[in-house]
Amino acid sequence: MKTEDNKNMSLKITALVEKARDGNRVSFQELVGIYQEDIYRLAYYRTFSQMDAEDLTQDVFEQAYRKLNSLNDPQRFRAWLYSIAVNRCNDFLRKRKYMRLLQMRTAQEQDFMDSGKDMNNTFNDRIEKKRFWKQVKTMLHKLSAMERQVFTLRFMDHRNINEIAAILDKNESTIKTHLYRALNKVRGQAEFFKEYRGSIS
Amino acid sequence: MKVQNHAHLQDEHILWAVIDDKDLAGPAREHLRECSVCKRKVEQFRGELQDFGQKASLAVPPFSRPVRLPRENLAAVSHNVGWLPVFGAAAMAAFLVFFYFMGMEIMSPTQFTTLQNQESLLEDESLMREIAEIVEVPLPEDVYAITGDNGTGFTEDLYEISGDNGTDAAENMDEITGDNGNGFDEDFLEFVVPDILDDFQSEFI
Repeated sequence: MKTEDNKNMSLKITALVEKARDGNRVSFQELVGIYQEDIYRLAYYRTFSQMDAEDLTQDVFEQAYRKLNSLNDPQRFRAWLYSIAVNRCNDFLRKRKYMRLLQMRTAQEQDFMDSGKDMNNTFNDRIEKKRFWKQVKTMLHKLSAMERQVFTLRFMDHRNINEIAAILDKNESTIKTHLYRALNKVRGQAEFFKEYRGSIS
Repeated sequence: MKVQNHAHLQDEHILWAVIDDKDLAGPAREHLRECSVCKRKVEQFRGELQDFGQKASLAVPPFSRPVRLPRENLAAVSHNVGWLPVFGAAAMAAFLVFFYFMGMEIMSPTQFTTLQNQESLLEDESLMREIAEIVEVPLPEDVYAITGDNGTGFTEDLYEISGDNGTDAAENMDEITGDNGNGFDEDFLEFVVPDILDDFQSEFI
């Protein structure tokens, strides 16, 4: 049943991409509606800043809209969109590193300062989320850039090996090797994973 | 990756199984299918990673700024106007080169003043030349041709008649007029300017 749904969704997306490529703006807007939150999360996992992640999401869809004609196979739209997002995030992180060298305040720090304004979350929630992201950052820092990329795409963005290979333009065995190394390193953080086991509300 | 059926999978195999159990060698895969302990280990790690992923997605702040598409499809536009900046830069460079070689630098203030001075000097020189010509030849050539002027004011014929060599004429005139050197007769002068004692009309008397 789930496979059937996935197949229908896949067909729908392919049809939307084809229409959007022919200049149908509404179809592209529909694609934006389907993927914008996924892309936003992908950007957040890499920047840990709401403001930056939202800016990047906007940039990714603008770029995709402009370059849609360069997509040859509409069935690969999702992988293509994710590869744009990953590349944009990498560019952004590189830029942010230089900004930090110049000691300019980044949006991540701004978010931290503005976090008190978020009235939707209780104080405990905010503390817990902050602690969670701090642990995630610590864990991801132990990985190399490629291992981090592969690990994040597999276990946080929930992409399969085949798709990760397409997004990063590598072969599957390379992806698996990087993933194995990443898991080997994070295995030491077993307590961290166990802590969150069953805590999902 | 050779594993005996009765021995549990090593951590390395568990990790490979978490990634993709198809990558395990035959005996390890077979063991995993049969061994509940190893299967539970793999499932547990997978579950932990899955829960971590879910927790991460829940911990992301809500997406509050929906994406807005640009008004026009920029693909076509950007391809068409891509040459504009290049053209602009090329045109600017061409202008600079053009003005440089056309001597735009001559129009700099100091050089412009020099140019003006040269022009006014030439104008002055031409005026001076005209004045000199006028002084030298006050009347047109035609007039001199009619009078046969040699530059002294009298024709040669006139000198011949009077026997004048150019200096005796005045003396002859003095003789005729009785001139004392002033060119006028004394009686005539007395008549014109009477002595003050003889001037009965004078009020000083």
